[in-house]
Amino acid sequence: MLYLLVIGPILAGIISILFSKKDTRLFIVAAQIVQFIYALRIFIQVRTDDTIFNFMSNVPEGIAITLMADIISSVFILLTTTIFLMMIIYAFHKDYFTTQFGFLFLVLQGLIIALFLSTDLFNIFVLLEVSTVVVAILIMINKEKQAIYDGMIYFFVNVIGTAFLLFGIGMLYRTTGLLDIRAISQVLPQLEDPRAVMLPFAFMMTTLSLKTAVVPLFSWLPKAHGTPSAPPVVSAILSGLFIKTGVYMFIRFSAMFEPVINVQEVFFLIGFITSIFGFIMAMGQNDIKMILAYSTVSQIGLIMIGLNMGSEIAYWGALFHVVSHALFKSTLFLAAGQVYHQYGTRDIRQMRGVLKAMPLTGFAIIFGILGVTGAPLFNGSISKYMISYGSYRPIVQFGLNLINLGTITYFFKFATILFGKDNRAEEAKPPKEDLLSELLVFIMGGLILVTGIYGPTSMNVLFGYEVAVFSAEYFEKGIVYALMIVAAAGIYNGIIKQGGLLNRISHIELTFNGVITSMTGFFLFMATYLYFVL
Amino acid sequence: MKPLDFITGEIVGILLFFIGLYGLMTKKTIVKTIMSMSIMESGIFLFYITINYTVGSVPPIGQAQEAAFVDPVPSALMITAIVIGIGVTAIGLTMFMHYKQKHGITHWSRNRDQTGSDH
Repeated sequence: MLYLLVIGPILAGIISILFSKKDTRLFIVAAQIVQFIYALRIFIQVRTDDTIFNFMSNVPEGIAITLMADIISSVFILLTTTIFLMMIIYAFHKDYFTTQFGFLFLVLQGLIIALFLSTDLFNIFVLLEVSTVVVAILIMINKEKQAIYDGMIYFFVNVIGTAFLLFGIGMLYRTTGLLDIRAISQVLPQLEDPRAVMLPFAFMMTTLSLKTAVVPLFSWLPKAHGTPSAPPVVSAILSGLFIKTGVYMFIRFSAMFEPVINVQEVFFLIGFITSIFGFIMAMGQNDIKMILAYSTVSQIGLIMIGLNMGSEIAYWGALFHVVSHALFKSTLFLAAGQVYHQYGTRDIRQMRGVLKAMPLTGFAIIFGILGVTGAPLFNGSISKYMISYGSYRPIVQFGLNLINLGTITYFFKFATILFGKDNRAEEAKPPKEDLLSELLVFIMGGLILVTGIYGPTSMNVLFGYEVAVFSAEYFEKGIVYALMIVAAAGIYNGIIKQGGLLNRISHIELTFNGVITSMTGFFLFMATYLYFVL
Repeated sequence: MKPLDFITGEIVGILLFFIGLYGLMTKKTIVKTIMSMSIMESGIFLFYITINYTVGSVPPIGQAQEAAFVDPVPSALMITAIVIGIGVTAIGLTMFMHYKQKHGITHWSRNRDQTGSDH
């Protein structure tokens, strides 16, 4: 009964908007709890029994629209329901939590879950299109000028990107006559000429690269995720969860094409470039949300590296990084939301002494930073360790360490908000944030530590993959980490504080036409590579 | 072979797609962006409804089997896609109208103002 997971939240949203005169927040929370329990049940069922299939309207397999929950998708669903439950509780006392907001939020949850479950190509297209609309409205929910501009760019770029996917599906259907991912992957090896699916592959990969925001298609991401006036829960969902739909589809689609087309090296390289580009851009930002948005670009690059390294441990490490990134990035976005609401500015140079002013949020930020930079015993370290374990090539090791050094450096800049003297006048301080949201941010921060300390266990529970992490090598990485903090402090004081060139680089951005041109360029590159190199 | 045989629905569909893409790459007016998007989508629709079509086949209605049936799936998909296309165009136009009436802007501007770093 997987479809209940999809229509459940949407139905709850419709009911809440029907009774919009009453306060429906408690009902929404209750619906989220039920949803979470049901997802947990599905998760356990997949672990104990096997992959669950749902064939719609009792049509035979291969023709029917299929929902599938296997090991990977059940983890993603559990993650989705957990994070959404957290977000709803966080937003419970916030003034932006109106009925309309709750409705859109619940619909988005249904769409994300449907994307994780669906194996039908055309369904995936429809879901992507609808979720683009919902996300665009959520971004501009405050109707502020910059938010509408950002929302429009997000909307048009993604609609055009999805058109590429639709074209690709059409070409694939022309060759195979099928729309189901699993059925197509069974048919593709029998293809006489693999060249027939190269063009659809290039079309589809353009969309997926846009959705995962890799170089050169990431310029919509900071705009959408770092929109100044978007509520922090929206940014947290977009950065923590919604971007993962792209990663998930990348996993599925590359598995589908694997028998005929294998372009791991290209995406491995693209992952590296994305990651390095992401941290360079993040270093020069002063807007607290923009730092986190560019950090997402960098971390997604890291996930792509792990997925395309071609080793099993790195692959599962990347999947675990999806989970840990969802936890720490949503924690950081929520905490950032608390902080900039309190301080009345998003400029990190004007925020000081967060740890003293709001201790719970401050500790959550510390946990989040330690998680994202991969400090020992936090969940980021487990996944980063597994990714780096996948290859012993010196150049790869050097690259991964460089990326981690970059991450530590810009989070060093981020961490300056925690300490120092609070310069605000006493009467300028707004009333304190409500205790519920403070506590929730802290709990989410705690989750980062818990999934880290029990890293191998959570790895085994979530993905059923046994790994021994806590070895001598792991603690060696801890020493490297300590050295890197020293280096990052040096880089921060020596280069970043000066601004100059770095500041100018980080404010470069593409116009709308530039984004579309780079999309076309990426498509042409992909097609040329497939036809002439492969 | 007549020269016009090259002009099939698929070829025209692909051409329309790239004409729309060209418009999106070069035009800075938001209305023209929406128009180019529609052209691009029409290209896809045309491509879909002509794939796997053989001359002389009949629609899959009724029981008569004097000729081969046309594959109905692409047409069914395109009905959905056309509805989605209309919805997306309407939402795009709504956003644009709101933006223009409130802020008087009709073009994609060069740069986003760096709100966070300046104030």
